[in-house]
Amino acid sequence: MSEWVVRQKIRIPFQYTAGRALTRFLLGLAECRIWATRCDGCARVYVPPRGFCGRCWREITRWEEVPAEGELMSYAVRPTEPPVILGLIRLDGADSALVHYLGGVAPAELERVQRVRAVWKEDRTGSILDIAYFVPVW
Amino acid sequence: MPRRVAIIATGQTKHTARRLDVNIAELITEAVTRALEDADLTLRDIDAVLLSNMEPFEGFLFPDLWSVEAWGGYLKPSVKFNTGGTVGTTTAIAAYYYVASGIYDTVMAIGFQKQSEGHTQTAITTVGDPIWERSVMAGAIGNFAVMATTYMHESGVTEEQAAKVAVKARRNACLNEYAHLQMPDITVEDVLKSEMLAYPVKRLDMCPQSDGAVAVVFAEESKAVRLAPRPAWIKAVATAHEQQYMGDSPKRLAEMRSLVAASRRAYQYAGIVNPRKELDVAEIYEVASFAELAMYENLGFCAKGEGGKLIDAGVTELTGELPVNPSGGVLSTNPVGATALIRVAEAALQIMGKAGRRQVENARTALATGYGGNAWTDVIILSREKP
Amino acid sequence: MSAEEKTLRVPFLLDTEYRYAVGHYGARFFAELRDHARLMGMRCPECGRVYVPPRPVCGICYRELHEWVEVGPEGTIVGWTVVRIPFIDPMTGEQRPVPYGFAIIRLDGASTSLYHFLDETDERRIRVGQRVRAVFREKREGSLRDILHFRLLEV
Repeated sequence: MSEWVVRQKIRIPFQYTAGRALTRFLLGLAECRIWATRCDGCARVYVPPRGFCGRCWREITRWEEVPAEGELMSYAVRPTEPPVILGLIRLDGADSALVHYLGGVAPAELERVQRVRAVWKEDRTGSILDIAYFVPVW
Repeated sequence: MPRRVAIIATGQTKHTARRLDVNIAELITEAVTRALEDADLTLRDIDAVLLSNMEPFEGFLFPDLWSVEAWGGYLKPSVKFNTGGTVGTTTAIAAYYYVASGIYDTVMAIGFQKQSEGHTQTAITTVGDPIWERSVMAGAIGNFAVMATTYMHESGVTEEQAAKVAVKARRNACLNEYAHLQMPDITVEDVLKSEMLAYPVKRLDMCPQSDGAVAVVFAEESKAVRLAPRPAWIKAVATAHEQQYMGDSPKRLAEMRSLVAASRRAYQYAGIVNPRKELDVAEIYEVASFAELAMYENLGFCAKGEGGKLIDAGVTELTGELPVNPSGGVLSTNPVGATALIRVAEAALQIMGKAGRRQVENARTALATGYGGNAWTDVIILSREKP
Repeated sequence: MSAEEKTLRVPFLLDTEYRYAVGHYGARFFAELRDHARLMGMRCPECGRVYVPPRPVCGICYRELHEWVEVGPEGTIVGWTVVRIPFIDPMTGEQRPVPYGFAIIRLDGASTSLYHFLDETDERRIRVGQRVRAVFREKREGSLRDILHFRLLEV
């Protein structure tokens, strides 16, 4: 009796405002393009982009495109069936890394993967999932 | 003995229903940039940053984590607070402790909230105990309304007197360039005729939901004197929490035990015997019009049951003996994570002489309060004179 | 970009389930409610306050509580309202239907009060001090919802 447990949900719908920089990034994804911003102070290239560099404390106005390909820095495997693999990907030219799914590769092969490139979805809506996953570039 | 601390700068965004042009991080940057400009500071001058936010409203756990650089926190010591409605004053009091302790010289407190990203009433319901309260809660408005009828019964205040508070707030807000709801032509009749949300609370009796941010800089004595022409010295702070379940204190608005306890402690520390005479201005956390009347009584501005008489006599108008909420108060602007800190910022602006068109003449002693979860209170007293 | 210009909005549904342990005191309360349609409180040996919901200590005296006493099923309205503004119930993600009566009720014998529903939606018929009685559901599962609502005893 003293192990009485009440099950309850918390279900709340949210709507997040992307802001200026991220809106341009998301709309770019719908066009299979990856937008980044470069700070004139410290020269850091941000992906996803931001309009303000918090380290220099200055606005960023310089936009550049980066390729949808880059270095796989790290990965993690969720041992479900099929396994879900997440990768930490530094696109060429960027200083920060993106987290995204890895596909078209078996967990055992991951150690040998150095570079990956994006595979785009057919139907894109302006979301990070417009990239279906990243595949190895052998 | 703690060392002397003063507020030397503030920055606010123009609070509004929906800031759809910025995400939360960008909103915070606006307020922080303005606070730094206010006293000609750079990030290098800030030793620690304290953040104030209620996560359930945006559904973001650890908003401090993913917005670090936006608030100038890269590699700086920082802490995030969440104490419901009081969070803004909790954070201000914490900033005071940080500097008074002697460990940090300059600390920035930042309050922020984007109510538009979630559902306020729904999120507030998660504040209720899941086993004993959540299934029978009625959101913030319903829960407040049940307390208001008790208060009306005990004190005899009328819906019309409450409406006068709502009118004062939205008209004062017209003098505040940052306020959300500005209604120059609002009348008591407008309030009484507005949509009934939950008796006796009508739409215009209730505070709005806002997107906004505020940043306040606290500094130790020698910096304060050097950086601000007229710093706002922290004279006294007090906090009091009450009660476990909503029904444990059934006459919550009529009695406001935590407000009484905290304010008496703060008055004693500051040497204030007659708050109505000795305070020059008050920025209090009134969630709804009725709440302000109850707060007059429980803050000792008047006797019990006389809250309605005070507003009738015009004592708390901008031109009255003790102006309450010249900024427009919570009734005009309410981004919850920022709201109580905005009270502190506005009280500081009054002392500093920077309150523009809402400036109370010769404001030497100001009161700021925070109110949360219907049971918590923070009280801060600011002064033009060094304590 | 001005405040009027809009940027993209990204939707997200927070949908998680929690399992809350009720504890010894809650378990006894809910068992009595489910099995006997009885409401119970706990009395402090020092100050005599009777607490509903039950709990291990009296917060004022900080004494352990062990004595169970029956409270209600009748009580008095301390505060009331009729909720007319709809909002989303976080336990379902759906709108809760309005209007509904809602009140702070001090059950006979209790020192604290409970928040619960009233079976009245006409503001003119409800007042502070009014007597009410708990209406229990036929099929009870051991939760505060086993009380359907409180019925006004006089108009």
